[in-house]
Amino acid sequence: MLLLGKILLGAAGTVVAMGAVVSSEGFVNVRVHENKPDGVHLHIIAPVLLMNAGLHFVPREHLKEAAEQVRPWLPVIDAAVKELKKSDDVDLVEVTGPDEHVKVATHGGSMVVDVTDAEDEVHVSLPLSEIDRVVHEIAAAGPTI
Amino acid sequence: MKRILQAGAVVCLLATSAFGAATEKYLHVRVTSNSDKEVVSVNVPLSLAEKVIPAINHGKLNQGKVTIDNADMNGIDLHAILEAVKNSPDGEFVTIQGKDQDVRVAKSKGNLVVHVTDKSGDKQKNGEKKNEKVDVIIPMAVVNALAPTDKHEIDLVAAIHALTESGEKLIVTVHSDDDDVKVWVDAESGSNEPSAHE
Repeated sequence: MLLLGKILLGAAGTVVAMGAVVSSEGFVNVRVHENKPDGVHLHIIAPVLLMNAGLHFVPREHLKEAAEQVRPWLPVIDAAVKELKKSDDVDLVEVTGPDEHVKVATHGGSMVVDVTDAEDEVHVSLPLSEIDRVVHEIAAAGPTI
Repeated sequence: MKRILQAGAVVCLLATSAFGAATEKYLHVRVTSNSDKEVVSVNVPLSLAEKVIPAINHGKLNQGKVTIDNADMNGIDLHAILEAVKNSPDGEFVTIQGKDQDVRVAKSKGNLVVHVTDKSGDKQKNGEKKNEKVDVIIPMAVVNALAPTDKHEIDLVAAIHALTESGEKLIVTVHSDDDDVKVWVDAESGSNEPSAHE
């Protein structure tokens, strides 16, 4: 009985430790809500670690164009992310119209994008610390210069 | 005595760090479209702009400086103009009162002030008057920082740094029948109305 208890405790500890590792990098939060009867309603909260792992499985040729476009801007993105990490939460851009609302902001160490119009509601949140990593991963996917 | 000196040193250090800690300043831009009923707000931490702009090397912007070709200026020596403004006392530089436009350029209380009122809309005969009023107030420290020793460059990073140091200011307001534009600097991260007005 004592042995079974130790095994269960060990298994529970392993699960908790794995959970801690997976969630240590933060979470990506994506929510899409289409305002029509057969519209898409999607809400994904996934650990960033899984997103990074998923990026490795995307065929390189699909990232080639994005890589070429993002590469010249890497120093700018690096500098911006570094400063945004140090900065307080800020609403960087907000557009408010009669039928739409767009907001790009930093909140609690994440970059948050909210888009709401008559047809859709989209919310994306990604930890700032991961933007650098994802962008560099995409840039590395292109042909070597 | 030694302990008193040590305690004094610690107090001085704490006081220096407390008072010397720079408050983050934000550059705010708000465009209100009266026709579309749309409001666009942009809020940029100046420290972000100061670090990001030198990283952009594109076109005429390199390492935080904009290169100006003589051809772009139609023979006008911008550096000489900025130097002249820098060294001149407070006063009115330009006052034009025309049929279509009123223009006033002055140096006042450490600021370069430009007011333009476009009255050409008064001439429209369809019943709609499309007038425009532009007010620009730029701290002289920013004007001075714009003009480095090199005649063919404008130092954007130095200007942003000077803007950070210059305190809270309403820099630009444009009012027309179609749009209202406000550009200001303060320590608020949100896009509330400007708290300081020169």
